[in-house]
Amino acid sequence: MSPRNIIVAMALAIALAAGVFVAARNQAPVAPTTALALPAPKPVPAFSLLNQFGEPVDQSVFEGQWDLVFFGFTHCPDICPATLQVLATAKQVLVEQGHETLPRIVLVSVDPERDSPEILGQYIDYFGDGNLGLTGTLEEIRKLTGGLGIYFEKQPGDDENYSVDHSTAVLVIDPDGGFHSVFSGSHVVDNFVHDLPILMGDR
Amino acid sequence: MRLSVALLALALVACGSPKPPLVISELEVTQPIPGRNMSAGFFILTNNTDEVISITGVDSPQFTRVEIHETTVTDGVSRMRELDALQVPAQGSVVLERGGKHLMLMQAQDIGDSVTLQFVSGDAPVLSVDYVFPKDN
Repeated sequence: MSPRNIIVAMALAIALAAGVFVAARNQAPVAPTTALALPAPKPVPAFSLLNQFGEPVDQSVFEGQWDLVFFGFTHCPDICPATLQVLATAKQVLVEQGHETLPRIVLVSVDPERDSPEILGQYIDYFGDGNLGLTGTLEEIRKLTGGLGIYFEKQPGDDENYSVDHSTAVLVIDPDGGFHSVFSGSHVVDNFVHDLPILMGDR
Repeated sequence: MRLSVALLALALVACGSPKPPLVISELEVTQPIPGRNMSAGFFILTNNTDEVISITGVDSPQFTRVEIHETTVTDGVSRMRELDALQVPAQGSVVLERGGKHLMLMQAQDIGDSVTLQFVSGDAPVLSVDYVFPKDN
């Protein structure tokens, strides 16, 4: 190899390394850090429930916007209000950051005996405008939760005083009504603020 | 001389004043969410004695029923159970916080600006505290 060819080869090597470096920098921040995305969105199972206005809705209620779906109950004093507050705060931060794609917050009751549409409506309104509450028969709620891998079980107690064990996951449902990704573990505002724009394609 | 005796006496009084046996700190009572008639209570109880203090009940004039609960989250599932008592270790503390042990205050009566909590051990009242809701709520 002539000295000239060696110089050309070195220059090419440097250019290649620089290209790889720039490409790596551009790709690094696009991954969510907390949410786990499904390999492909999975259609939400068919169900028939009531929204907070008492109107019948089915799985198509999840079409047309991104949804953050939490399963809980209004008599839950602890995890449920804390989680809904995290979601509401994260949404507010996204607004302040200028994002245009914002998720709707959805609470699906796992305690339909006590959570009438009216009670659910008062509850979710406390966490902001535009939220959706879903309740109905146990059988129809189980169609939705079963298909999404959400667990809940009513615990023994008297008529008005019992608890319901339930999954704490927050599911992300895409505008086509597909189960897109899931946030598990303890819910922290920053995690949602970081991951949601990436998941929703609105960075 | 008279002054130094007085100072000494003051110092002795200060040293000798016993700490209260049970101290509550970082108390927060949530406002009932509209449409709901229950609240949660979070705080730290510190036991300054050499014996375990067992809180067997909490009463509040503002609520018909108060229970001590513990939430645990295991494998992504939240479970809430009533505790028979809250054990405050000797010379130690117990923390009541979101996602853990907490007071569940049920069937709210007329709640004004404040909530009173009366802690009971066996049949004996051991601590009474008032919580005033922050003005911005």
